[in-house]
Amino acid sequence: MQIPESELVRLLVSKDEKGFENLYTNYSAALYGVVSRVVVDQDIADEVLQDAFLKIYDKIHSYDVAKGKLFTWMLNLTRNLAIDKLRSKEMSQRRKSDQVGNAVYKLDRESTPSTEDGIGVRELLDQLDENQKQVMDLVYFGGFTQAEAAEELNLPLGTVKTRVRSALIYFRKTLDVR
Amino acid sequence: MNIEEYISSGILELYALGELSGAEKAEVERLCETHNEIKQELELIESTMGALANHLAITPPTHLQDKIKGQLALKNHETKVLKMPVEKQSFNFAIAASVSIAVLASVLAFYFYSQWQSAEDQLAVMITQNQEVADNYQFVNQRLRNLETDVEILGNPNFARVAMNGTENSPESLATVYWNSSTRDVYLKIQNLQALSQDQQYQLWAIVDGVPVDMGVFDSGSDLLKMKSVASAAAFAVTIEPLGGSKDPSLETMQVVGTTEV
Repeated sequence: MQIPESELVRLLVSKDEKGFENLYTNYSAALYGVVSRVVVDQDIADEVLQDAFLKIYDKIHSYDVAKGKLFTWMLNLTRNLAIDKLRSKEMSQRRKSDQVGNAVYKLDRESTPSTEDGIGVRELLDQLDENQKQVMDLVYFGGFTQAEAAEELNLPLGTVKTRVRSALIYFRKTLDVR
Repeated sequence: MNIEEYISSGILELYALGELSGAEKAEVERLCETHNEIKQELELIESTMGALANHLAITPPTHLQDKIKGQLALKNHETKVLKMPVEKQSFNFAIAASVSIAVLASVLAFYFYSQWQSAEDQLAVMITQNQEVADNYQFVNQRLRNLETDVEILGNPNFARVAMNGTENSPESLATVYWNSSTRDVYLKIQNLQALSQDQQYQLWAIVDGVPVDMGVFDSGSDLLKMKSVASAAAFAVTIEPLGGSKDPSLETMQVVGTTEV
């Protein structure tokens, strides 16, 4: 059962066990989906997810509701951990074989079938054009800053920004977010 | 400011991704307070990112839940060990104490080990970032030094400014020579010259005692160009020549000309 974010924050701050159960049940799969797409290797993904939970507990005091949703905060915190891992020394070898030229996009990896709606990852991504997919892959799952992505793709910075936007607008429509 | 344009620039998406620098981030937060449209758009973007994450969700392996929970609970466990009641028999107490100490030591060892590991990782990232910043700084610094030299020349009263206006060949063209007759230094700034084909170059000439003297060839560009030196000149002119320049100017191709007499 999903509780309001404000209630969850309170439970997390007080280290209440219910808070953990709720956090894990409602968010672990989403966070693990992000981590797995960034670091690819399952053992490392497991490790990063653990680190993410520890860090969420560690940093929950610094979460500021005025600056955005808890979910966004957790997603970015987790994504950054995964990206730090990806950039760290032990992963640099692995990363070389996993560069942009690779035909398989990180975004394309199959997810746990969603029970809420019937749209699979493939269907979701079908309509997304290659350019948008590329930008999302670099910026969202590849840990590239906007400037690095612009350089990698040989595009003006403004184009990278607008492509991220158009990709998210596509997701907004397809996933019927209101 | 135009709110529509601000929203469609994609800056809010980058904010929600945590990708903005301090100043841009503060701007978004400030604008959210004053512009409801921006705040609503940002909320929609966050909801979309949430929906996307839920859609791309992958259930973690089942054993992870207990493992993570154990790690979080471990911290509470430590304090419990320390608060253990003292009224036990002294022998039991000794065992309990040594066990506690052993457990505590292992916990601390593991804790420091993982701290050390993540510090190592972070250090590697920092070193890379530091290198990046240093490279950028070098580049900007070089550029700044060039500009400083340019500004110095442009502002130096010893440099005479000779405006060269377009000839009949190209009335729109414009270039300026900065000439210091005492040090003989000559610099050229292009304001407007048409693009040339690959086998052509521009050539600057000084007219000295009625004779054109070669001052060097150049391509179009926006920087201040250092040309050959000359002590006295009645006029400067630019012609179009084959790549590498000519010995004598092709006067019929003259693009701009300007005299030094006031």
